Amino acid sequence: MSAADNILEIRGLCKSFGSTRANINIDFTLKRGEIKGLIGENGSGKSTLLSQIAGLYRSDAGEMTLNGKPYSPSSPLDANRAKIAMVMQELGVVEKLPVGINVYLGRLEQFSSRGAVNMKSLNGAVSRLFSEWNLPPMPPNAVVSGMMIEQRKIIELARALSVEPDILLLDEITQSLSLNNRNSLYALIRRLKDMGRSVIVITHDIDEMLAISDSITVLRDGEVVGDVKASEVTADEIRYMMVGRNISGDYYRADTAPDYAEEVVLTAEGLTVEGEIEDVSFQLHRGEILGFVGLSDSGIHSVGKAVFGLAKAGKGRVALGSGGEVKNTRDAIAGSMGYVPKDRDNEALMIHASIFHNATLPSLKEFRGPAGFLSPARLRKLSGDIVKKLSVKCTGIQQAMDALSGGNKQKVNLGRWLAKDLKVLVLDCPTRGVDVGVKGYIYELMKQAKAQGIAMILISDELTEALGMADRLIVMKDGRIVRTILRGEDFTERSIIEVMI
Amino acid sequence: MRSNSLTPSGRFSEKNILREKVLFAGLFVLAVAVILLVFNLLTHGNFLEWMNIKIILANMVYPTFMAWGMCFLLACGYSDMSWGAIVVLASFGTGVFGNLYGFGAALAAGVAIGTALVFLNFCIFAFTKIPSWIASLSLAMIYEAVAVFLYVGKSTGALVSAAMEKELRIFGLLPWSLIVLAAAFIIIYYVYNRTIIGFNVRAIGGNAAVARALGVNATSTLLWIGLICGLLIGAASFLQESYSGITTVKTGLSSIFLIFQPLAIALLADILQKKINIIIAVPVCAFLLYAAFNLLTLLHVPSGTLQEALLCLFIIIFAILGQRGAKGVVK
Repeated sequence: MSAADNILEIRGLCKSFGSTRANINIDFTLKRGEIKGLIGENGSGKSTLLSQIAGLYRSDAGEMTLNGKPYSPSSPLDANRAKIAMVMQELGVVEKLPVGINVYLGRLEQFSSRGAVNMKSLNGAVSRLFSEWNLPPMPPNAVVSGMMIEQRKIIELARALSVEPDILLLDEITQSLSLNNRNSLYALIRRLKDMGRSVIVITHDIDEMLAISDSITVLRDGEVVGDVKASEVTADEIRYMMVGRNISGDYYRADTAPDYAEEVVLTAEGLTVEGEIEDVSFQLHRGEILGFVGLSDSGIHSVGKAVFGLAKAGKGRVALGSGGEVKNTRDAIAGSMGYVPKDRDNEALMIHASIFHNATLPSLKEFRGPAGFLSPARLRKLSGDIVKKLSVKCTGIQQAMDALSGGNKQKVNLGRWLAKDLKVLVLDCPTRGVDVGVKGYIYELMKQAKAQGIAMILISDELTEALGMADRLIVMKDGRIVRTILRGEDFTERSIIEVMI
Repeated sequence: MRSNSLTPSGRFSEKNILREKVLFAGLFVLAVAVILLVFNLLTHGNFLEWMNIKIILANMVYPTFMAWGMCFLLACGYSDMSWGAIVVLASFGTGVFGNLYGFGAALAAGVAIGTALVFLNFCIFAFTKIPSWIASLSLAMIYEAVAVFLYVGKSTGALVSAAMEKELRIFGLLPWSLIVLAAAFIIIYYVYNRTIIGFNVRAIGGNAAVARALGVNATSTLLWIGLICGLLIGAASFLQESYSGITTVKTGLSSIFLIFQPLAIALLADILQKKINIIIAVPVCAFLLYAAFNLLTLLHVPSGTLQEALLCLFIIIFAILGQRGAKGVVK
């Protein structure tokens, strides 16, 4: 291919945040109609690079050429004008505004005359956009508040597609989507390719990246360490390039039979949350990993919330092995339960507070002195221990959470629960948005917790993860349990997908 | 992804949203009717007398304008404690200029002073980055002092008042005040729900990072809010002077009291906005609030402290009903 086939060329791009060098002399080429995978550990500079291309960050040095002309976007809007659009990992939507306005926010002028927006024309354009790209239809007038993370991501995707991009940048979007919508996204990417458009995809799922990409660029510590054709590389080679050492792909459990104690630590009986789950009953045993899988509206995520007392159950009950009942989160925490939600930034972490405050929050009661006072020294030690034990990459325990990469945020999120004496841990997509190294580490932590007798509910959008880690799998559809499969018994993706769909 | 599992078959479907809205509107109208009938029963038929309803309607006009302004303020996530002082200052201007130069001058003075001062506040918020509640408290004290100084020619802590001649006060009377209210409603509804600035205001307040990333100019939006709120506060000042014919003021942040009733209206409307458009909810809530005050007066509840306490109780009950089903800590 000649240079004329290159739509985007990047030479010597650098970006620093204070003393942290996020990108160092990045050289990168994207061809017309190419699907390029961008991979690296958390904090390797992938999102920074896409943000530079999308106009979110100005580069400190280096140059970009788009269609052979110098390209230096001053804002995302500027990038949009150059037909480059991005779906960001953490950006999100404006909750109080309707779907349609969210899609065209910042570009409402095209539907307006003298500042007045023609809602009919805007809503029509949004409906056509969803239809044209086969996105699940959403009423353009519906306010975003209360929508699931997956629906929000679809709105962001629609926003990016509304630009009719020549280059679409997708930053870890697949992790927010369930299996069915993930497959639909792959089809959308292929369609863009067929139209001669280019896509850059960041995902931590190496198999997914190998399946959908034409080429893969690997970043490590802000530098490009490899640029390979997807058809000529293996998952293990990618992992090696990412971390600079061999990482076995075999990070799931090696055993093929269920392994847990008889003792029941939690029982859900006829659990019903209106419009979400219906008549869900199961028992969780000491040392068991109980997996929940299903499509996006199957209700698996609501099970986690209901079990932990976050979603109010209209019918049914959650009883602990000790005899207590979980009616709210206070009961759950008093019953030695922990919960790691899927929406890490909005539901789990105080994102602008420090690691110290986030890490110690669930343990404050245990660390209370006789007069009710907390010892700052003991709390500092606790947060320091979590950071050290889980190898959180940070400048110190006073660093704000929003300055950490996704994987390191998740380490703090998980570590603060594992620092407690737990009996039950509810994990909702615990490896969402984390790199392969952290992923393996989280599975290792789960194995250790299992060995200590902690019972876990693992809700997952990734079948391989659920199959790899669970003792039993509960498959849900339309808010109901449709099948329970024991590890070793018909424990295959195919048998589960048949029930799910 | 068409018509797959994310297709809104539940609460987010177009049909369900419309059905919910219609159902709520019906129930709300019914609830208001029941409340008014109960009020009427409690006052032995005095409450629903036309004369009494006219008093409530005349009372609610200028606070409704202020409450609409507060809707913009709440939507963009700022606060302004100086609006009471601005209303006082602009009302003084209305009275003084009106008495000197006639009706046109009264209107122009009220609107111009109100608009200029609120716009100035927003310039200060936008460019100095001082938290708006701190900046506006300081500005409130300055405006109060200026109002008193201009009127009596010296700084004083005593209560002073300025009256406007009766023939200039036509817009304080029905039906003219209601006509102004109706016209303003149409404009405000349009600005809030159908203009780029209306959406940008909510984008800035809802998620400033997203709004900025998508090209919404936060500073320009803030200045636009200052202009819109300024016009509303200016109009409120003119209507206040037209209705009451007199403005009284003391220094020492006494003007903050003028904010409370419009704030209560805006907060009630904010609670209702899950089901009713906030711009529609404001006059409805204003009517209910002043109806409640009126009821207390008819029941011979002493005005002042006890009425205020019962008013707050009313707001809390209303808020509890409105927040049913809300999860987590509501700030």
